[in-house]
Amino acid sequence: MSGVTNQSAGEARLQVAGLSSGYGPVTVVRDVSFSIAPGEILVILGKNGMGKSTLLKTIMGFIRAKSGSVRLDGSEIANRAPHLNAREALAYTPQEYAIFQDLTVEENLRLGVTEDRLLGARMGEVEAAFPVIAKRFKQRAGTLSGGEQKMLLLSRSLVSRPKIMLIDEISEGLQPSMVNRMAQVLRSTSAEKGVAILLVEQNLPFALSVADRYAILKIGEIVEQGDVAHADTAATLERHLRI
Amino acid sequence: MAILLLDILTTASMLFIVAAGLMIILGVMKLINFAHGAFLTVGGYAAHVVTAHGFSPWLTIPAAAAFGFVLGVVVERVVVRPLYSRPLDAILATWGLGIIIAQVIVFAFGREVQFAQSPISGTVDLFGTGYSSWRLILIAVAVVLGLLLTALLYLTRFGLNARAVIMNENLARGLGIDSIRVRAMTFGLGAALACAAGALITPLLSVDPNMGLPWLVNSFMLVLVSGIAIPGLALASLVLGGAQVLVSTFVSPIIGGITIVVLAAVILRIKPQGLSRG
Repeated sequence: MSGVTNQSAGEARLQVAGLSSGYGPVTVVRDVSFSIAPGEILVILGKNGMGKSTLLKTIMGFIRAKSGSVRLDGSEIANRAPHLNAREALAYTPQEYAIFQDLTVEENLRLGVTEDRLLGARMGEVEAAFPVIAKRFKQRAGTLSGGEQKMLLLSRSLVSRPKIMLIDEISEGLQPSMVNRMAQVLRSTSAEKGVAILLVEQNLPFALSVADRYAILKIGEIVEQGDVAHADTAATLERHLRI
Repeated sequence: MAILLLDILTTASMLFIVAAGLMIILGVMKLINFAHGAFLTVGGYAAHVVTAHGFSPWLTIPAAAAFGFVLGVVVERVVVRPLYSRPLDAILATWGLGIIIAQVIVFAFGREVQFAQSPISGTVDLFGTGYSSWRLILIAVAVVLGLLLTALLYLTRFGLNARAVIMNENLARGLGIDSIRVRAMTFGLGAALACAAGALITPLLSVDPNMGLPWLVNSFMLVLVSGIAIPGLALASLVLGGAQVLVSTFVSPIIGGITIVVLAAVILRIKPQGLSRG
């Protein structure tokens, strides 16, 4: 079994154990184990095609787990329907086609809450994190810039009041100032609201600036793990990712 | 001339009412429901049964809609849902279902023509000519139906969820939307609209086991031309229904009967995405 764990199962918000999944007969994620505590950020690093996005989709329930378990606050959620996981406060941000381009900003945000009336009460969080999104309420989401669309994505996750955020390469294609803003929002969301965040990233500076811990995925297996702040981190990443 | 315009308007209204359910199901579920004509027939027979048992003819429409909704939800659960991953098979299954429904109707009611009482009978004097009151009412019904469907899609949470499912079903599921429930409700709504349409047109037509077939063909062409949008369906109903009336009046009723299909084929050749898409 390959994995990273730095707290007991009792403290974990999300606990993944021996998880394997893939497409048809092909296994992409192999025997992966890790856990994330409330208020913690774990980043999964790895090159293209290593199974990072497949791992997130399996946790969310889009891809069936072949074996292993996924526990949310101790309750098994592996292979549960994605809409039930979303209602259980898993906020999933896919890498592609993540917003409804033909809906307005407001409608995209309404889809983040279970009842429309909740949005008004939670808009303060959006205004605090990304003031520009609140100003574009009636604008069609597809007309937002790339950076604004990413802000809308995070805003939609914030209004859902998640326990866990699963985020797939949010920094891709963003200018440095925007990447910094994303990092600030993720750090504060994690620290102030106790949200556990599982990031999948290829942008190493961003990943290391935001995460508490890292795990390196190679051909579907976690081959290395550790604390970002550890003195050996740079050497480990150099060895596995050849940066 | 004024009567001709009224004929165009009332024909377009009937076409819009009949095709709306088919379009809703195709738009949300990406499924061509070939049982739509059979559902319409069921609505016609529901109207016949209600009035034959002495109930008010006004009850025919809600009764047909309610029966249609239940029928649609059951059909979605039993026939359509197991075939979601095989869309072509799902379409063929609805075709087969249509045949089964027609045979069940023959078994229960026989092949002979039946009638249902009209909620309003008689004519209204317009421009010196008597014009069917019920046909005039159908114009108002079509307008109200179009407004209600638009409100449902754009002003309610169900509508937002349905539009999200139409645009990106996986993303919608990832946001907590139960797309299976949205599909079930949509199929129920589509079947309810089809049955209600059957009850609505029954005062103008006789009821027989195959009454839905020509409506199915015309509805299918209208929905394709509409570009799967309510304003597009209204426009398609006006243009193609108007053409049907004009051809039937000035050329031949027989050629008028195939006008919608032929004209729709021409429009789709020029504008494959339909009237409401660029």
